[in-house]
Amino acid sequence: MAIRVNPSLIDDLERYGAEDVQKCYHCGNCSAVCPHADESYVFPRRSMRSLQMGLERKLETGLEPWLCYYCGQCSEQCPREAEPGETMMSLRRWLTARYDVTGISGLFYRSPKAEIAAMLGLALLTGLGFAAWGSTHGQLGIYEGEGAFLNSHYVHLFDWAMAAVLTTLIVANSARMWWLTIVKGTPAPVPLSLYLKHAWRVPWQFFTQQRYKDCGEPRPWMLHLGLMLSYFTMFVLIMFFLGTVQSDTWNPVHVLGYLATIGLVGASAFMIQGRLKKTEAQHKHSHESDWIFLAQLLYVSVTGILQHVLHRAGLNEAANITYVLHMMGVVPMLVLEVPFSKWAHLAYRPLALYFAELRREAIGQVEAPPLPAGARPVKAA
Amino acid sequence: MKTALFFCQVEDGGGVNVASVAKYAANLPDVERVEQLGVRPVIDPEAVGAQLRAAGVGRVVIAGDQPGFFKPAFTRAMELAKADPAQVWLASFAPVREGAEVGNERAKAAVACACRGVPFHLAASPATTPVQPATLVIGGGVAGIQAALEIADAGRLVHLVERTGTIGGHMAMFDKTFPTLDCAACILTPKMVSVGQHPLINLMTMSEVVSVAGGPGAWKVGILKHTRRVDASSCVACAICSQVCPVSVSSEFDAGIADRKAAYIAFPQAVPNVYQIDAEHCTWVQSGGQKCGACAKKCPKGCIDLDARDETIEVEVGNIVIATGYEIFDAKRIERYGYGTLPNVLTALEFERLTNASGPTGGKIVTRTKQHNKRKKVDEWVFAPDGAAPRRVAIIHCVGSRDKAYNAYCSRVCCMYSLKFAHLVKEKLPDAACYEFYIDMRAFGKGYEEFAERIKEEGTFVVRGRTATVCQVGEEMVVRGEDILGDRLLEFPVDMVILAVGLTPAAGTGELAKMLGVPRDRDGWFSELDYNGSPTDTEQGGIFVAGMCQGPKDIPDAVAQASAVAAGALRSIAAGRVIGSLSSLSLSEIEARAKSLANPQ
Repeated sequence: MAIRVNPSLIDDLERYGAEDVQKCYHCGNCSAVCPHADESYVFPRRSMRSLQMGLERKLETGLEPWLCYYCGQCSEQCPREAEPGETMMSLRRWLTARYDVTGISGLFYRSPKAEIAAMLGLALLTGLGFAAWGSTHGQLGIYEGEGAFLNSHYVHLFDWAMAAVLTTLIVANSARMWWLTIVKGTPAPVPLSLYLKHAWRVPWQFFTQQRYKDCGEPRPWMLHLGLMLSYFTMFVLIMFFLGTVQSDTWNPVHVLGYLATIGLVGASAFMIQGRLKKTEAQHKHSHESDWIFLAQLLYVSVTGILQHVLHRAGLNEAANITYVLHMMGVVPMLVLEVPFSKWAHLAYRPLALYFAELRREAIGQVEAPPLPAGARPVKAA
Repeated sequence: MKTALFFCQVEDGGGVNVASVAKYAANLPDVERVEQLGVRPVIDPEAVGAQLRAAGVGRVVIAGDQPGFFKPAFTRAMELAKADPAQVWLASFAPVREGAEVGNERAKAAVACACRGVPFHLAASPATTPVQPATLVIGGGVAGIQAALEIADAGRLVHLVERTGTIGGHMAMFDKTFPTLDCAACILTPKMVSVGQHPLINLMTMSEVVSVAGGPGAWKVGILKHTRRVDASSCVACAICSQVCPVSVSSEFDAGIADRKAAYIAFPQAVPNVYQIDAEHCTWVQSGGQKCGACAKKCPKGCIDLDARDETIEVEVGNIVIATGYEIFDAKRIERYGYGTLPNVLTALEFERLTNASGPTGGKIVTRTKQHNKRKKVDEWVFAPDGAAPRRVAIIHCVGSRDKAYNAYCSRVCCMYSLKFAHLVKEKLPDAACYEFYIDMRAFGKGYEEFAERIKEEGTFVVRGRTATVCQVGEEMVVRGEDILGDRLLEFPVDMVILAVGLTPAAGTGELAKMLGVPRDRDGWFSELDYNGSPTDTEQGGIFVAGMCQGPKDIPDAVAQASAVAAGALRSIAAGRVIGSLSSLSLSEIEARAKSLANPQ
């Protein structure tokens, strides 16, 4: 079988953040130290090799980058400073672009300027739209009920429309991921029974991120889980309980909203601090998309809180203006960031872990050269 | 001739301030343009050629740490510019570890010569001075021994200074040599005996160089002779002092895997074959003469004087040979290999002693066993002759070498000695599994590749892939590594791990370098004058480097280099004059000489 080689792949990956791949001399230290590598999925060295050789198809159909949670041990111990951890991170960005059917993701990752311009453009459009709509349908001095500047009922309808767009994009991109990794990338057929047998893995990974915990250090896992659960809670509250969210203080839904807000602000602040301090390997290198992600998250959280505080203080005009500012962050985040940029891993990672199990079982035992006496393969955790 | 000067570096830094050299070069006559192209520039010969042609340049000078790297591109550019491609000159400045000021001046001189089209070594040729006939050799390892014997056998006096109590160095500790599997001691001990008996070798053990004055041809060297506290002329090495000595400390000669007494001899074949008192651990010395003193009382020859004093002497020599050797990399620095915490993780030197017939187990390869030390009331892990033989042995290559976090360089001998270890394991324990974990197998010498192939045929599993960790999982010690050629991740339960530690310059190399005024390279090894042309000379007249102290090398290379050094020293003694130091020439002197060579009127 002919294998196509893309000699400029490694240069292309540089724009996704992988700068030092060529330094790798293949000692295998990274794979040996990785807590997640096992007999079926040996990485990061093999991914480094594929990159150096330009094996685009192999990387495109591979699941290894999603199996890595960037604990950074490989990069810390790399004798060549080839940054295998950052390479895996860059491959995740590259794969996000590959799964995206629209091509927008690749544009954003390769050109952060385009991403920022798109975000600002959409924010402006949102702001103008809401301002125009609010001023024609309500009054700036009224926050809720009859004549409100932004009537929650209509905002809610708008939210649902946005969610529909978002779901369509995520489903389409996930389908492409399935096509690449399972249909094209798995050399054995995957029976339906296997899909059913492992289906529980998707929600389990999504809500516990068990695999991240296996990296060793509990702190990054807790931060990540906290951020993700807060985000998910907030999303559910807004989609299904928007009316209740804006009701009295001690309503359980309301309390949950407060907790989620604290989670969002806290986790994103800690993450920004980590990226500024650069002490841990996983925070040494920050792609522009990482900063956009965190800045946006913090902006949305802070304007959300501010809007709430102003409203409670009875400053309805200020609250309404802040609400518009808040939406100027929310809309680009949901429409652009979630399907096309860093947020997308929220769907891809649990799916990848599911697909990885499918592939592992579908392939089963493969023929391999005899083991050295006494040696044994590293089993999956 | 209009000259264009380009600064191109292969590595950054290296102690030379390129900007200041460039500033200096801009004022040289005929230099039309000076460009600093930075680290590893990509040179387009067509663009450069067009520029050179437009400017009417007739000579190009490339200056940098390894200017030859860029020569082909500039030669092509000169061809394209229709200029003489032979007029591409190189001005090389080797990286310097200390003495940046000297490095800068040297770089300026190299640029000044190249810009005038004069080879540096012609312009920078120091005047000769009369030479004293005696030679000082610093270090009594195999290189120092070889150099001393060659010079003394030619009929010239040699002072041989050795820091420890015996000559022999690391080679005396080895079991076998690669790739011939000769017995190391069988090669070395006759040479050691010759040194000890040679009428023209003044052997000073337990001695250190403490001061250096004078200059080429007439170095005045102060030598601190630590007292042995045993009279060398009357000691017959009867071992009674050692038998009665109550103090036990770990033996340096056995790389710490066995103990010796405070009154001891490093090994039975030591030269001089005289016992010594370890003052640091001797009860008498430490108590100020209040306690013990058993050895002096029991010595049948009455040759122990526990209160003897150190003395400092001065020798005047014409030439100095540096042969200070190396140390092994401290494996404790890489915690993940478990050295120092897991009892059966050994360094290469420890294994060398374990497998040596003169070692603590008589050459039996065993694992450490737990024993109760009654005196200290603690459990200790020791190598006992009746210990259990390992069933599986892992050898991990490149420990501390080829790693930017430790030493970026290749230590050159580890692949080969590791293969030798695998052979010894298979020879002594035919049923044991032996694994070698390597990155690249560097079998570079005569017969080495064949040796590597032979080891593979003997049944050693040679696994491509450096392991990452050695850890204790329950009762098992597990080595985890990627088997790159087998494309899989494996775990190896093992009983013994040997770390193929790399090599670093010997302790005190920095101080000695300062005293002698010999520069060191960025890794701390002594710098030779010219890597290809004068690999044993240094920039100090009459000071030579031999063996490991100049960089990692194997025994045949060290011995060959030592013989070359002897020829260098004898050359000056026969001629009666020695070439002076490069540092004796100032920049303006080199400039003036280059000018007169360029325009011979």
